[in-house]
Amino acid sequence: MSGRDLLAHGIGGAKDLPIPPQLAIAGAVAALTVSFTVLALAWRRPRFDASVGRPAPAWLSALVDSPAFAITLKVLGFAVFGFAMVAAVFGKDVAINPFFGMFYVLLWVGIVPLSVLFGPFYKAVSPVRTINRGFAAVSGTDAELGLFRYPERLGQWPAAFGLLAFVWLELVYPSSTLLGPVRLWFSVYVAVMLIGGALFGNRFYESADPFEVYSTLAGHLSVWGRDDEGPLVLRSPMAHLARIPPRPGLVAVVGVLFGSTAFDSFKDSTVWLQHIQGSSVSANLQNNLMLFTFCGLVAGLFALATAATGVEHGQRRTELPALFAHSMVPIVVGYIVAHYLTYLLEEGQQTLIWMSDPFSNGSNLLGTGDLAVNYWLSYHPGLLATIKVLAVVAGHVLGVIAAHDRAISLLPRRHQLTGQLPLLVVMVAFTVSGLYLLFAA
Amino acid sequence: MARPGRVVAALATVVVALALGGCGGSDPEPTGTPSSGPVRIEVTVSGETVTPNGDRVKVPAGEPVELLVTADAPGEIHVHSNPEQEFEYGEGSTTLTVENLDQPGVVEVESHTLDKVIVQLEVK
Repeated sequence: MSGRDLLAHGIGGAKDLPIPPQLAIAGAVAALTVSFTVLALAWRRPRFDASVGRPAPAWLSALVDSPAFAITLKVLGFAVFGFAMVAAVFGKDVAINPFFGMFYVLLWVGIVPLSVLFGPFYKAVSPVRTINRGFAAVSGTDAELGLFRYPERLGQWPAAFGLLAFVWLELVYPSSTLLGPVRLWFSVYVAVMLIGGALFGNRFYESADPFEVYSTLAGHLSVWGRDDEGPLVLRSPMAHLARIPPRPGLVAVVGVLFGSTAFDSFKDSTVWLQHIQGSSVSANLQNNLMLFTFCGLVAGLFALATAATGVEHGQRRTELPALFAHSMVPIVVGYIVAHYLTYLLEEGQQTLIWMSDPFSNGSNLLGTGDLAVNYWLSYHPGLLATIKVLAVVAGHVLGVIAAHDRAISLLPRRHQLTGQLPLLVVMVAFTVSGLYLLFAA
Repeated sequence: MARPGRVVAALATVVVALALGGCGGSDPEPTGTPSSGPVRIEVTVSGETVTPNGDRVKVPAGEPVELLVTADAPGEIHVHSNPEQEFEYGEGSTTLTVENLDQPGVVEVESHTLDKVIVQLEVK
């Protein structure tokens, strides 16, 4: 556990203070009230599903659609990837090796704000897509197509599995801050992505690359939209959210994202810490089971709640969870902001500083080596706690609105209100539990 | 649509009331020592066990913390503050003084030897 704590929770190690109970309760009450108000008073015709969006300004479309723009992003992405690989392969196995921070902080946490701001960001910079494209160019084939068609019934299950593998490495694997295991994890990721890309073409990355799937989901909260290969449009994030394709495995993806983040809070709570440290059963085994339980519980409760409604003839309940799963995305993002904000800002700075010295020999390649981390936000715990609660509540409200809109477009008229209730209750439960964990852990 | 709306509003009121009622009385118990002087924590390491076992201790920011370690074998304690601090102790009794706890946050004090969290310092 010591190895993990050296980084997974701060290279320095201090974690956020618990949020004050009054704030947690205020947030929970706000979430509840808004939820039921939306249900009772809101619109009765779907607003987001049919929204087409406004065309982006011509100059912006021209810029974004130009080959030079796409190539620049790919080169940038590949340069960062190459830098990380050099640090991973030739760097020392010490906590200041920037590979750890680039992987756990810049990639895993940075992916969320970058995607919310710029859309499906990882897809644009993805080094595995770039390599796949290189292979295709060399062999004279099309990177879009592989040897086989991707089996659509697998949907995003492979990505859910990949995300679970990532959070397992980050949160429960005892050697998660040793260079060897992290490098191995990443090599397996790259290998699977390259083989998958060769077999199934680019569709594989939309289905199985955990980072791309995560980024593209969060990117649906951005204002940048595009229909298939159509022109760039500006679209309200709510309308954009409604366009998340309801693929198989999507519920598992959001379950892993939310469940694992909740587990990350929970595992540092006094209750759990005292339990596993005082127990004769292996702490590692219990952490593993608990991580899977959290993820499974979130996905399972969500699926049950969305299916617990009256339906029309010909409508299948089993399809409902995926059709509602987009409404979990703002909840996930809000909770990620609350959970990771200081981690991203402070460990992110630390990573940028350490990136100047990839081989831990005292060099200052990027000129950032002499900077010091600014801990301003940690020194303002009141402000920090307020931002966290606002993020959670805002995510919840957007989620409830998205679910309401989908319910009235999907459910038969007489089940529209009652059909939403179980989902609303589950969402409130998620949000209140999230706030409780921020307060108690 | 007026009736379901009203039912839902009533339901909302009930849930809010329950939430307020249910959450009201749970003020966390302060586990630290009363103020005045440095916070002292007695740590006993014996075989594979260490006490305290992951307790929370409140510490005023900027105050030093004294760890009074009694151990049956030498070992190492890591304090996960910003920056990290490492301490060694020998067999018998050792007093370790942890300083520079200025930044608000939760700081884990961990037995590196046993791979267990001894206390979490809630610095504020």
